[in-house]
Amino acid sequence: MRLIGLSIAALFALPILIGLFGSFLPAAGFMPQLAPGNGLQVLLSDPRFVPAIMLSLKTGLAATALVLLLTMLTLVCAHGTRLWQWLMAFLPPLLAVPHAAMAVGLVFLISPSGWLVRLFSPSVTGLERPPRSWVIPDSDGWSLVLGLVLKEAPFLLMAAAAHLSTINVSDSLKIGRTLGYSPARCWSRLVLPQLYARIRLTLFIILAFNFSVVDMAILLGPGNPPTFSVFLLSLVNEPGSRAAASAGALFLALGVVSCIALVLIVERVIAAIAGYRRVSGYRGRSLAVFRGLGQTVIAGILMLSVAAMAMLLLWSIARRWRFPDALPSQWTSENWLARSDLLLEPLFCTLLFAVFVVVSSILAAIAWLECERANAVPRLDWMWYIPLLIPQITLLFGWQAMALLLRVDGEWLTVAYAHWVYALPYVVLIMAVAWRELDSNWHSAAAVLGAGYWKILLRVRLPLLVKPVAQAAAVALAVSVAQYLPTLLLGAGRHQTLSIELVTSFGGVDRRVIATLAALQSLLPLLAFIAALYLPRLFSTANQDTHATA
Amino acid sequence: MFTIFPFKLRVDRLCAQSRARAWRKLTQMLPCFALILIATTMSSQTQAAELDATWDEQLQRAKGQTVYFNAWGGSDRINAYLEWAAKRIKEDYGVTLQHVKIGDIAEIVGQIEAAKSVGRDTDGNVDLMWVNGENFAAMKRNNLIWGAFANELPNTENVQNSPSIKMDFSVPVDGLESPWGGAQLVFMYDSEQLAEPPLSAEELLAFVKNDGRFAYPAPPAFHGTTMIKQLLYELTDQPGALSKPVEEADFDTVTAPLWSYLDELHPALWGNGKSWPPSAETTRQMLDDGELDIGMSFNPNEASAAVKDGQLPDSVRTYVFKEGTIGNTHFVTIPYNAKAKEGAMVVANFLISAEAQAHKANPEVWGDPTVLDVTKLGVDDKAAFSSIDLGPWVLQPGTGKTLPEPHASWAGALEQAWLARYAK
Repeated sequence: MRLIGLSIAALFALPILIGLFGSFLPAAGFMPQLAPGNGLQVLLSDPRFVPAIMLSLKTGLAATALVLLLTMLTLVCAHGTRLWQWLMAFLPPLLAVPHAAMAVGLVFLISPSGWLVRLFSPSVTGLERPPRSWVIPDSDGWSLVLGLVLKEAPFLLMAAAAHLSTINVSDSLKIGRTLGYSPARCWSRLVLPQLYARIRLTLFIILAFNFSVVDMAILLGPGNPPTFSVFLLSLVNEPGSRAAASAGALFLALGVVSCIALVLIVERVIAAIAGYRRVSGYRGRSLAVFRGLGQTVIAGILMLSVAAMAMLLLWSIARRWRFPDALPSQWTSENWLARSDLLLEPLFCTLLFAVFVVVSSILAAIAWLECERANAVPRLDWMWYIPLLIPQITLLFGWQAMALLLRVDGEWLTVAYAHWVYALPYVVLIMAVAWRELDSNWHSAAAVLGAGYWKILLRVRLPLLVKPVAQAAAVALAVSVAQYLPTLLLGAGRHQTLSIELVTSFGGVDRRVIATLAALQSLLPLLAFIAALYLPRLFSTANQDTHATA
Repeated sequence: MFTIFPFKLRVDRLCAQSRARAWRKLTQMLPCFALILIATTMSSQTQAAELDATWDEQLQRAKGQTVYFNAWGGSDRINAYLEWAAKRIKEDYGVTLQHVKIGDIAEIVGQIEAAKSVGRDTDGNVDLMWVNGENFAAMKRNNLIWGAFANELPNTENVQNSPSIKMDFSVPVDGLESPWGGAQLVFMYDSEQLAEPPLSAEELLAFVKNDGRFAYPAPPAFHGTTMIKQLLYELTDQPGALSKPVEEADFDTVTAPLWSYLDELHPALWGNGKSWPPSAETTRQMLDDGELDIGMSFNPNEASAAVKDGQLPDSVRTYVFKEGTIGNTHFVTIPYNAKAKEGAMVVANFLISAEAQAHKANPEVWGDPTVLDVTKLGVDDKAAFSSIDLGPWVLQPGTGKTLPEPHASWAGALEQAWLARYAK
């Protein structure tokens, strides 16, 4: 049993080490065949280096700060209201939408010729042609920041909502209100400090992601210069630039570390100020206006995401849709039906990876958690967070270098393995909560009745845990479907998944094709989440039926 | 449930040990799977490909091969055309054509160079690739091309005898690549929005300063580089220097008028010289949206397909500058380490067949100009070409003078200089 647990840990941890070494060795000049030259020197002398890294710092930090602010604002302004229930219903599906698809929808929405302007033209704006006052993507990266906020704020909010139950919010609020503090102050003095400590790691994951994102930065970010990670991606493919790209990948990881350090410092400063203000005894006034404003902002952001998704559906059934028409002038089902050849192949390719990742990561997680329960392996929760905190580029440049050396680049299994490494952490972390909370009396009772280990696992434990397992499976599928960089860099272009097709065809700009691909890509995780919600219910009622008849 | 672990172990070992040992391990673990693997490796280990084999021998060896064709995958129409070609090639020759869709073929050149540097001289990932003159020059210089395969293709006899097919960006082709289609830089505009489009670099500047909406993709995007080459042709005092390698010219003197022109042009562009359309296709979409007045393309017939497909208005027209615009030929080539060289030859030969070229020239399919000399073809094939109706939207035959591409070395030098000036 111990052996199984250890091999899972090794299968997971080894590629991370290999990835880091594979980036480090070429950067340091230890792989002169594959990566000749002094990487660091070439990198530093590139005119794009400084502007690109400044841009990434700006967009990464701004997006993360906005995500945190928006989450806090939502908790303070919306918790306990109808809006909160709406959010809890809408956020999980939004969370499941792949980043690339959301980015595409957003472009169609907020461009000068996008839907927002079309809806009000020429009636309100008087415009017969798109305005010239802004362009998308803008050269300062704000459209990228907006895209990141739309995707990452739901992530942090859901993490926060999950932790709210463990810190007894309503009691804290009641005590605060009884003492005469305004609701906002109850949150900021009593709840948020406890909550922040619990969501901090999630925030760091978001920070690392925002700083190093690739697919969304290609679609929504400025192109000249691009963000640092997009710059590195173009560099790694330039002849003779691998050493420089590898050095850049290490820089990227260093950037994440410095950003996290910066957040820790800012956090101390805020904690000091907050500590001082907490004992001031000032109760504050209840500002209903502020609350209303906050709710409007949140509702606006939510509507923006929903509208971006609606754009994908609308364009996917449009034939002709010129500015300033609010809706397409000609509709068609051709984008879906006539192009089914072009859709089915990437769909099949995507599903093949997804099914492999779902099955293998669920089985690995079950095995790992069972080993953990039997005390065959220690709890290694920190280990699962590592690949989420290291920029994907840093690991993947390393994997790609190693794959080239071992001649396994382009192999299906190489790509699937990389997907697995990125899906497993979510699967283990989601399932671990339920696994550890499950009452061990069920197990003991079954054992007393003479059931063996396998029977207990298959007939007692797993049926009781079917809901979290289904949720974890849906997340694993969503992670696999959204993977762009691993498929691109390890796949040698041979594995045309939906996300690869989407980012590639964005350059060809048939909006209807792009929208159809993006809609299809979003549909897969959405269906998986719906299935995860309803299938366990069917399963449990079926189970009860058999018990009833027996 | 534990069957998964040996499977995963294998993956791990693939990364950790040599491939041969991993395969041995795999054979022990999954005998069935291994049998299939052995079967496939054996079938692919035929004797090394030869250029001087007869065509019948090449056809024989090609049968059953899978050709990974790395070609830009950004156009739905081109992708669909290659799907059609794959079907036809499978039917006639038993060769499987797999289109590997890529964003920029220069990256693939880099990958092949990397493969060469680590000694991966056989079983490469790329069997056939779609190149332009700049990639070709780089590949030829670094000996990344298999050989003069194009001279061995039977359909070569019908190819036009034109300068841009003999010299690609002023670099001799020498049979190292096989032509696929013609191209010329053209501009499209909506005749209902714009009565008189600008007909030269100077007119373009005046147009943009007068609130005209224009932008070009930022180099090193292919169309952006072509645009600055085009402007350089018109603006420089020494156009003759462009047909020789850049090292032989006084780069600063030749290009000085270009930079002062661009300094003036950029602030008035869409995006104010800070944001750029990522591709020429984007400018076509922006023309349709009305964000731009002029879109650009390297396909003189692009507007025809776009209008019929609902992507451009019926009032769109195509034109070139008074003094002409840069035109060239695009090619396919076989890397030196390709795995399915015979299959790649079969595909390259099919691509210059009258059937494939006529299908490609149809604007509803792709609308790419042919590289064949139609007068050399038989009656039926001639009819296939003459029945193609391009409509009023495209560049009308005989209206556009073609300028030759500058020597391949200019592209990189111009891109570097452009980036140093404007990518800040």
